[in-house]
Amino acid sequence: MRGTNALLGAAGLAAFLALGEAVPRLGLVKDEYFPPTSRIADALATELADEAFWTALGDTLTGWAIGLTIAVTAGILAGVLISVTPYLREATASTIEFLRPIPSVALIPLAVLLFGTELRSVLLLVVYASFWQVLVQVMYGVRDVDPVAEETARSYGLGTWARVRHVLWPTALPYVMTGVRLAAAVALILAVTAELVIGAPGLGARIAVAQTSQAVPEMYALVVVTGLLGLLINVGARTVERRALAWHQSVRGEVAV
Amino acid sequence: MRRLLIGLAAGAVFVAATACGSSDSSGSDDDKASGGTTTIKAGVIPIIDVAPLYLGQSKGFYSKRGIKLSLTSAQGGAAIVPGVVSGQFDFGFSNMTSLLVAQSKNMPVKAVSNGVASTGKQGADFAELAVKKGSPLKSAKDVEGKKVAANTLNNICDTSVKESVRKDGGDPSKVEFVEMPFDQMPAALANGQVDAACVVEPALATIKSQGGTSIASLFVDVSPDLTVAMYFTSQQYAQKNPETLKKFQEATAESLAYADSHPDEAREIIATYTKIPKNLLETLTLPRWLAEPNRASIERLSELGVQDGLFKKAPDLDKLLP
Repeated sequence: MRGTNALLGAAGLAAFLALGEAVPRLGLVKDEYFPPTSRIADALATELADEAFWTALGDTLTGWAIGLTIAVTAGILAGVLISVTPYLREATASTIEFLRPIPSVALIPLAVLLFGTELRSVLLLVVYASFWQVLVQVMYGVRDVDPVAEETARSYGLGTWARVRHVLWPTALPYVMTGVRLAAAVALILAVTAELVIGAPGLGARIAVAQTSQAVPEMYALVVVTGLLGLLINVGARTVERRALAWHQSVRGEVAV
Repeated sequence: MRRLLIGLAAGAVFVAATACGSSDSSGSDDDKASGGTTTIKAGVIPIIDVAPLYLGQSKGFYSKRGIKLSLTSAQGGAAIVPGVVSGQFDFGFSNMTSLLVAQSKNMPVKAVSNGVASTGKQGADFAELAVKKGSPLKSAKDVEGKKVAANTLNNICDTSVKESVRKDGGDPSKVEFVEMPFDQMPAALANGQVDAACVVEPALATIKSQGGTSIASLFVDVSPDLTVAMYFTSQQYAQKNPETLKKFQEATAESLAYADSHPDEAREIIATYTKIPKNLLETLTLPRWLAEPNRASIERLSELGVQDGLFKKAPDLDKLLP
């Protein structure tokens, strides 16, 4: 079953790559603007041999990791705090609904004014975008707590901290994990976007330089790298999610099938 | 999208310029100098125009004057102008029309050193009004009623295209401008999305390599030796750091002169901070790097801006220029 899936996946990818090779070669699109797969692969090999590429990759991952860590920590703390304090929940609900839909990229001019093209500019955008993903999921999760379990815990005399630890957290964890997974993907998108538009060092800035330099295959090669990075991050986040929720019904169910 | 960002950035600059004129994150001469070396942060765009700065840095023109030049690549003026005004950068690189627009709005910008100048040669400039292979358009007048690509609207591209059309006996008001980044212009021309493009190197070299031609040298039409772009700083920085400013100007003048007389070395240094393919790099028309700006040409650019309604009031060149 697993082997067949992997085989089908590989066949699909191979067909896609072959299509990417054939379409420009047949002249359906101009190869100056859409180079065949082999030329992109060539450019990718050159990139991999370049030290500056690895520095850029490191810069992007640094921005992503720091930003995500801040967003997840802040999102969980704020989410739990707001959810367990009714007054706070009432007071913040409309503000959250107002701030959440603001696209992170709209903050680019602000980021530039505050921090120029430094890492902090990237962090501002990454944290802003991924914080809401976590916060909202945490709030959903806390709302999902079974009132009977909550009352039982109370009647057994469990204190606030113990109830958060033993009742609230296990219920909210699956939601938190979904939030983290979404935030991880969003954080990468924003890190690359910030580099692309502002010019902060990283893969995005390298894509922009390739673009303005008319180095088309190199540009696609770097785009492929960011795609692969997104894929790896998603796979990684899913693994973490499965590990953390190994006890949970949704995951146990998945394993049994 | 990009337009929205530029608009937002411009708005943000305006807020910064009016509200936080007291921004003082860039220190004065004294507290920046350590061991006789002053660090200068310059915001540049990774394009061929700024090659003299990289060349001057590697030749030691800055270090021998006690300047440690720290070059940061930013993506276009959207990041550089607010960066300089807010003190994130000490110096920045900007095209002349943008600086004129900023001055006419009383933004605290001060042009300090020449950036790039037109080659002054008809048909052999680093920026041209280009058309694709086999285009029926033969001269500037022919773009009447046609779509012309410009990297930023209401800026140096459209004023100079209009001037070329006017000089050729056409009606500039009939030209329709389309905003797009330079790097997308070769494809847009080839696909017929636009009929002509105000395009600079290296995209110009791509167009030429595909058989496209130039129908007008728009910067030359504005003025021979047109000062196209300059390095600038904020007025606060200029007031606080007159010594450093003077050293930067001297070093930059030396770098510009050196780059202008050593085009091969300029091409070599360009390869280090851009990814321009080698075969394209050899065919590029380099701009001229004159040590001094050409005031007459900037006056002409300013007149055109007034004529085209770019400024509400004419910029004060005495305040803007060094």
